[in-house]
Amino acid sequence: MRYRKLFYACLASVTLLSGCASSSPPRDLDDPTNSLYFGHIDMSDAPGGVNAADVEQIAPPTKFPYWKPGLRKGLFCLAILPPGSYQVTDFSGGDMVYDFPRQGNPTSVRIRKPGIYFVGSYKYVPVKTGFFEGAKFAIKRVNKPTEAELLRRILEYPDIQKSAWKKKIEARLAHLRQ
Amino acid sequence: MRPGIYRAAAALLLAALLSACAGPPRLPLNKLSEAKPGETIVVGRVEIVPPLAENEQKLTVGSGYLKDQLILITSDKFRRLTAEPTPGEYTGRIEARLDKDFTVRSSNKPFYILAGGIMTNGEDGQMAWFPGGLEVPIRPGDKAIYIGTLRYYRNEFMDVKKTVLVDDYARANAEFKKTYGARYSLRKALVRPVR
Repeated sequence: MRYRKLFYACLASVTLLSGCASSSPPRDLDDPTNSLYFGHIDMSDAPGGVNAADVEQIAPPTKFPYWKPGLRKGLFCLAILPPGSYQVTDFSGGDMVYDFPRQGNPTSVRIRKPGIYFVGSYKYVPVKTGFFEGAKFAIKRVNKPTEAELLRRILEYPDIQKSAWKKKIEARLAHLRQ
Repeated sequence: MRPGIYRAAAALLLAALLSACAGPPRLPLNKLSEAKPGETIVVGRVEIVPPLAENEQKLTVGSGYLKDQLILITSDKFRRLTAEPTPGEYTGRIEARLDKDFTVRSSNKPFYILAGGIMTNGEDGQMAWFPGGLEVPIRPGDKAIYIGTLRYYRNEFMDVKKTVLVDDYARANAEFKKTYGARYSLRKALVRPVR
């Protein structure tokens, strides 16, 4: 499993700076069945920071369930997800991998129809443990950055500007302003 | 949640606690003659709906034996579990193979099912937890009891939607007699929620 993730990590690293389209398997950014899955993670208190993440496709089952979101300054996003069930499984930085649980994972979302899915903003919080215990952490939901703030950042991505997402995101922002 | 650098340690810890630190599980009954005086044979079943798909347990070499297995955490004293069980709390567990009857040897005293757990990721020891809060009402003199089928309904994220107790006594009793002989009949003693 980890080798498969590594393969996709390498694949995705080629396009990681292109915004929300970077992922595996490749899909057209303007595919009408696409959904935008995004959120924010503040890992400033984590020892290794964060420079990569994995989003797992829980359903429908697939041989290649790991999607590689674009990740910039804590904003993670995928703009090419087909309908299905997804959740963030881990963030990584340096030699550290921060695993999220399958059960009770706040980034879980079931996408039935194409749309914009904000899964929240989170902050890494270290948890005090005993001397002989392994390190633990918690992920706390926070109010900032808001969905609108993150959408405005996504709108700045050149590939998004040139895609069908521009209008959809602007419409969502207008709706959020109401 | 644990940083992944501790994955190997966590997996080793879990393997260790389930084999040594935790103390033994309630032993499965192979032959009726294994049951000692003062013991009660406990028969039951656990089901997950929908059943586990092939990729839902990511197990390693050390945790492979937990495939299709749900561990029932038990105790002689009732308490609500508010955090993951400590190694000591795994002692006396029931290792229930999903969709198959378990038949284990127990003391002849009532006990409690505090929670159920399925390993979802052997790399870092992640478990998905299922509710317990159930009393196993063993009575003095019970030789063998049937406690019912615990059927957990869950979604694709392993979030538990409801728990149903199914009374499948006739089938379980027939299978018990077929496997272990007609010396004992199971007494129906379905688990009951602790109020």
